[in-house]
Amino acid sequence: MWIFNSAFGKIFDALFLPFRDMSPWVGMILVSFLTGLLMLFVFKWTSNQQGIQKVKNRIKAHLLELRLFKDSLSQSLRSQGNILRCNLKYISYSAKPMLVMILPLILIIIQLNFWFGYESLTPNESTILKIKLAEDQNPLEAQIAVQPSSGLVMETLPLRIEESQEINWRFSATQGGMQEFTVTIDGETVTKKVAVAQKPLSKISPQKPDNNFLDQVLYPVEAPIKSQVPIKTIEIQYPSKSMNLFGWEIHWIIAYFVLSIIFGFAFKGVFKVQI
Amino acid sequence: MPNINRREFLKLGLSAGSLLALGSPSDLVTKVFGKADTHTKVLILGFDGMDAHLTNIWMNQGKLPAFERLRNRGGFTPLQTSLPPQSPVAWSNFITGLNPGGHGIFDFIHRTPEYYLPTFSSTKTSDSTKTISIGNLVLPLSGGTIENMMQGRAFWQILEDHDIPATIFKMPSNFPPVETKQKTLSGMGTPDITGSLGEFNYYTTEVTELQEDLGGGEIHEVYVIGNRVEAKLPGPENAFKKNQPESSIDFKVFIDPVHPLAKIVIQDQEFILQEKEWSRWRRVRFPMIPTQSVSGICMFYLKQVRPDFKLYISPINIDPAAPAMPISTPASYAKELEKEFGPFYTKGLPADFKAMSNGILDEEEYLAQDDTILEERKAMFEYELSRFDSGLLFYYVSSTDQRQHMFWRFLDPQSPMYDPALVHKHGTAIEDIYREADNMLDMAMSKADKDTIIMVMSDHGFTPFRRTFNINSWLKENGYIRLINNRRQGQEEAFMNTDWSRTKAYSYGLNSLYINLRGREGEGIVNPGAEKEALVREIVQKLEKVADPKTGERVITKAYITQEDYLGSQKEKAPEIIVGYNRGFRTSWSAPLGRITKEVFADNMDKWSGDHCMDPAVCPGILFSSEKIRSDSPALFDLTPTILSLFGIEKPDNMVGKKIF
Repeated sequence: MWIFNSAFGKIFDALFLPFRDMSPWVGMILVSFLTGLLMLFVFKWTSNQQGIQKVKNRIKAHLLELRLFKDSLSQSLRSQGNILRCNLKYISYSAKPMLVMILPLILIIIQLNFWFGYESLTPNESTILKIKLAEDQNPLEAQIAVQPSSGLVMETLPLRIEESQEINWRFSATQGGMQEFTVTIDGETVTKKVAVAQKPLSKISPQKPDNNFLDQVLYPVEAPIKSQVPIKTIEIQYPSKSMNLFGWEIHWIIAYFVLSIIFGFAFKGVFKVQI
Repeated sequence: MPNINRREFLKLGLSAGSLLALGSPSDLVTKVFGKADTHTKVLILGFDGMDAHLTNIWMNQGKLPAFERLRNRGGFTPLQTSLPPQSPVAWSNFITGLNPGGHGIFDFIHRTPEYYLPTFSSTKTSDSTKTISIGNLVLPLSGGTIENMMQGRAFWQILEDHDIPATIFKMPSNFPPVETKQKTLSGMGTPDITGSLGEFNYYTTEVTELQEDLGGGEIHEVYVIGNRVEAKLPGPENAFKKNQPESSIDFKVFIDPVHPLAKIVIQDQEFILQEKEWSRWRRVRFPMIPTQSVSGICMFYLKQVRPDFKLYISPINIDPAAPAMPISTPASYAKELEKEFGPFYTKGLPADFKAMSNGILDEEEYLAQDDTILEERKAMFEYELSRFDSGLLFYYVSSTDQRQHMFWRFLDPQSPMYDPALVHKHGTAIEDIYREADNMLDMAMSKADKDTIIMVMSDHGFTPFRRTFNINSWLKENGYIRLINNRRQGQEEAFMNTDWSRTKAYSYGLNSLYINLRGREGEGIVNPGAEKEALVREIVQKLEKVADPKTGERVITKAYITQEDYLGSQKEKAPEIIVGYNRGFRTSWSAPLGRITKEVFADNMDKWSGDHCMDPAVCPGILFSSEKIRSDSPALFDLTPTILSLFGIEKPDNMVGKKIF
């Protein structure tokens, strides 16, 4: 899974590389444009384009019937029934491309969340390092050592929460750049990257995942923790990020969907795609 | 007669605030006001409660070098305060250039003459009048309203008429801010998110700390189970539901089994605090209905982890990024400041003096909170100063006032709350804040150019507050108030046990005394005209003779008859008498809300040990200016026409003051 995640992630790294110093909107417009095109091509190649054309023409015809025979109740009801039937057929034609698109779209959204969903820490900003231990570990007895890199400072002693098998520390960043924690437990060592004062468009990984499939799908940025290490996850609490549009703060996923749909509709004529 | 308790009164029914959270579309648009560049610039620093006597002493000792420089450049004089010398009255004098007879603010507390109930003098709130009910939901078709009760025009409105720009930062008595296109941020009078003057929340496992009737906050009993505490943070009343239940947010605290640490988890936030540590501002959202919530900001203080768990949460301030009530003009100004500085104190009186009075915060903890406020203010001052290039900038600081209220006892060995041990630790708290004021003035003077006129003023001075005098108990002792049941004396507020058919006079507020006038009061018995005037003079004479049985000192230096001292269209609404207390004396803690205790006198055993609600003659404020002051005895309302004259504007006819330069 990690090989796939790593390769898939590299595509986005390459895609965003020229735009990392620019406003996140530039990257967002680019990825929305590409998603719009992807959706168009998937639609074109997997849907019954002729069928869609035909059913759309029929809907138009039945709408015309409604206007022409508005004095005839029975004809109007028949036309409405036909419109409904055509609509259902239209939906059935769209189902296949939807099913084809859903998986890649989920994987894209997961990747984009780490580019657009989190803000890197700013120097002097405090946050929490949270280590979730394996089920057989007791946080009060665990022999764990956390070593911050030179740009990080631990601010508190460990806070142990037995019921959730967590150990938390508050730390702050003192220098920009990619910092890291080195965690040693039972002779095993794990590192967790910490993003401080990164470029406007940067990939931020809040969690180093567990070695199970779902965690690796949801947190694909960092390699999973090896199964012999008695730690499930290592998490950094980054501030969440939103897209600023003339003073309005909007969630990135709204911007992404709206822009993708706009691009899709804008280019459907160019690529002769029936939607 | 409707029943009211202290808590309800303080809450003032501001649940309308949650309706106002809906906001108006115009709030979303930043307004831009075309302004002329002025050659002359006027910079006014308003230090609430800065005392003329103390300033003079410390200035002469060389502790306030910037003040000394300004005095030598222009002048320094005590500034006559308002009658009575209460902040909302005094600042209204300054804002409008009127006296209370003109602007209609006579006291912190007014009353409804029909029902003899207390009301806040400076704001009036009302819920939405048009609503639709669907089951348990109440959907408003219009917003609630909050009205600023101050009459007359603010000087920045007059400046606006002449296209002169002004930035007015945290002006007291300006909530909600008066309508203007100038940049203004509301000051004293701005409530917290619950609509009260500030309600802290305190969570403790120590049973002895639990108190039911705690003014200014709520103590919650919590339990530590498996190193976890679960609690609720109360918020504003939910005006979208029938009977307006209190909204709340659940939160959890996880305590380390050994280390003095706790993690607080509230909504989508997690943060760790060490014992005796403050959090930064935390934003909380109180859900009202699925599409509506009210946003507020608060700070957490982990007072103690073991043996007893103690957590303090500051009053929840209105969130400047999404204000539930109007706190600035244009609406975008508060948001602009929030963007620059992050969340900041929006509550009128920011430091939580009630938490200190109630022993929740000690002196050190209170000072830590006050220092945070001051740092915030200084940063914003520097910001406003850096972009001040035309017109007028008024900048207000509250810490001078609040710190003197709470720490005067360390300057006054006669105070019943004087504590030599604490004097050693906190004896310079007031001097420290005066030095901070000096630093701010120094910053202003170093950035001001030759065309900038600098004025530093305060609304009143300070005096010790050692002895309390319950004027309502005195009125009862002298036969002016009659009770329904004498055995219940002292048990009820708001004159609930008063026989109005035999009562001639009563007092609401800190200095106000009203005659129970026929035709005005709900059950008035004193006839207007000669009968009332004779009664007023009789009470005035008696009050001025009252002596403290403990010390023999005169309690009231002068009782002022408002019909003789006030001018303006609101004069008829004024209390008949304003009581001017001598140094060391003030009305008791219970009299302002209409409680008639059995004792007339008592020692003031509150940490609130300095005050100014006395005779204006005993607590003048300060006036420093870079221009020569030509008036012998300037007053607050003289500053208003002076400001206008500096921009070449004639004072309006209704202003009572005269220019001082």
